[in-house]
Amino acid sequence: MRRLIVVCFAAVVTLAGSPASAQDVESLRREVEALRKQLQSVTERLQAMEARPAPPAPLPASPAAPVAAPAPLAQVPPTTKTESAAPAPTLADYARPHQPFALAERRGPGQLLFDIGVSTDLVANLTQRNVEKARAGTFAGQENRFFPRSVELGLFGQIDPYARGVARIEVGESVENGERGFQVEVSEAHLTLLTLPFSTQLKLGRMLNRFGMLNQLHEDDLPQTDRPNVLTRFLGAEGLIENGAELTWVAPLPFYLEALLGVFTGDNEDAFGRGSLRAPLVTARVRTFFELDDASAIQLGVSAASGETSEERRSSLAGVDLKYKLVPEGWRHPLLTLAGEALFASRKVDVRGDSDGDGIGDVGGTRTRKRWGWYAYAELQPWQRWALGFRYDWTQYPTAPGREWAVEPYLAFKPSEFLRFRLAYKHTDRTHRVTGPDDRGSARVVDEILFQASFILGAHPTDAF
Amino acid sequence: MMRAVTLLLALALGLPVDTVAADRIRVVATINDHRLLVEAVGGDLVEVDVLARPAQNPDDLEVRPSHMAKLRRADLLVINGLDVDAWVEAVVVGANNSRVVPGAAGRVDVSRGIPVLEVPTTKVDRSMGDVHPAGNPHYYLDPGLTPITTGNILEALARVAPQHRATFETNRQAFLTRVSASLAGWQRALERFRGAPVVVYHKEWAYLLARFDIRQVDTVEDRPGIPPSPGHLVQLIRRMRDEKIKAIVVSAWNDRRTAERVATEAGARVVLLAHGAGALKGTETYFDFFDYNVKALIQALE
Repeated sequence: MRRLIVVCFAAVVTLAGSPASAQDVESLRREVEALRKQLQSVTERLQAMEARPAPPAPLPASPAAPVAAPAPLAQVPPTTKTESAAPAPTLADYARPHQPFALAERRGPGQLLFDIGVSTDLVANLTQRNVEKARAGTFAGQENRFFPRSVELGLFGQIDPYARGVARIEVGESVENGERGFQVEVSEAHLTLLTLPFSTQLKLGRMLNRFGMLNQLHEDDLPQTDRPNVLTRFLGAEGLIENGAELTWVAPLPFYLEALLGVFTGDNEDAFGRGSLRAPLVTARVRTFFELDDASAIQLGVSAASGETSEERRSSLAGVDLKYKLVPEGWRHPLLTLAGEALFASRKVDVRGDSDGDGIGDVGGTRTRKRWGWYAYAELQPWQRWALGFRYDWTQYPTAPGREWAVEPYLAFKPSEFLRFRLAYKHTDRTHRVTGPDDRGSARVVDEILFQASFILGAHPTDAF
Repeated sequence: MMRAVTLLLALALGLPVDTVAADRIRVVATINDHRLLVEAVGGDLVEVDVLARPAQNPDDLEVRPSHMAKLRRADLLVINGLDVDAWVEAVVVGANNSRVVPGAAGRVDVSRGIPVLEVPTTKVDRSMGDVHPAGNPHYYLDPGLTPITTGNILEALARVAPQHRATFETNRQAFLTRVSASLAGWQRALERFRGAPVVVYHKEWAYLLARFDIRQVDTVEDRPGIPPSPGHLVQLIRRMRDEKIKAIVVSAWNDRRTAERVATEAGARVVLLAHGAGALKGTETYFDFFDYNVKALIQALE
């Protein structure tokens, strides 16, 4: 560029200072012609360096510029030569505060320094009339409706060289005391310190607890339209979302072994509910993973959580989970996925009775209530776009007598990695009838057709095992 | 202390303990092509592992804990960049290795300084399919770019082990000399096909074809990453017939049946190329990989 300016300047000076004789005019003409050629040569070289020829793509499917041949081997200067030619840093350069970003990623003009994604999960539910009256369906209060279960704005990226951050704001239709409306909440807001010693990391903030396999997933990432009944019974419809910290350690072994310890406030009212760091919810998880061969792999996890209920009684959960995937060599998607999870709950509850005969219930001690449940599913994906699966689900009620089981066959269609449709049939059979508000209806057997449409705008999380 | 605990744990569980010599640099590359380049520059001083297996598509790899276990012990992470291996950030977060986090000295983006092809010149969105906003990331298919890629790798290795810089430079020069000689041979072999038109299944061959002056005139996918529509295939067959296009270039994970159908209708051949070193049998070394692809192209275009 500097050369170009010098050439142009020389041309202007030469032209401006010339007397107007015929010989000089001819001489100037030749000079201008020479300069024009030189300018053209420089322009061509600049264009070649930029390697971005101009014509726009005729079709939206071809947004890129046509291919230009890269420079031949001999003409490409080694990077080392360029770098060694750079001036040595001065003392002032060393003294100036700086960040070591330059070693990592390329940064273009106008590039955001973090990722933004919006995921939307739309659900439809079709069921019997008595189920709707009793609000006894999978999405209580939303029976026979098509509704946005969650619209989630996710912001994530590197905070600085030492930490990553995630913030997710979620809006979804919900029903509170018969009133339907939209609820806005912070589903996640946490940072992860990446550069701690001894292969540890610390995650701080509000997060989906890494308890079990599915609790860590957002609604649109679930393998089926709904969470298994055992998880919603034990952890609530939204799962275990807590405020606190998780410390992880990855063992320096030839295979993967991750240990996790968490401390949280225990706000989840379905499982805990104390909501105080004076009696925190403590969680732990160990996860390991083995590649069985080039095509198949298995992941095993054991989780535990212990906290207090709002009545200040001890409540503990334990879980085991297992996942197997078969991805034939050269396939871009798994052919077969098998997974399952079991949960065990132990909760101290007050034993009430009218010991003094005054007609008012008294606390007559405590007893331990033990409950459990499990689910398993299999998914077959013979084609990239289509998958079909089946889930079986059995659980006791954690705070009431009785149990239920459910089966859910489903079909999924995925036109691209950003769009997915699911159609499922779910049959739930309970030992007790569920009665709706104001005794308006009751249901023991529930048959539902579930439909789900999920899409992602912008950045999307990486596919994980 | 930690090492002793680990060793005891591994022995107690009857597991193989770490066998990498203490003085070797542990490198993890996201794709196999960069593994070969690191080995060429690092020689015996490096121990290189790779995350995406050669037969896998690095563009949409599923992150697994086994990837994190590999990265957990790495001194250097070598990434391709240009969004093709953006999944590596999830591996980094799960690996708990502060040496390779973004901004650390122990990672290198090999695409730095590459003259990137097919950089979108118009606004892009997902209606265009799985486009790469930063440009075509498959530059490792051009052997002519090895001075840049190995230069980046050399600088990264020298950051981790500055005492071995001279050895790395010697190894690199020897490798570049060999690449230069081989490239001249490949160019001679394909000289008579300069300007020949081909159709590709997916837009991943731009660097390879541009290096040998073979024209990519159309794609089987009408939009990257999205299966082609019947209407597009009909148009493509017509164009191939009209322009007498002889070959459709595919890789192992493309839909070969669709490509075969189009080729049969258009009177062309399907040519299976290795999308990376080791992707097909007989392409395990850097030079065998390009030998194979050059021979396959010649057979298809003759």
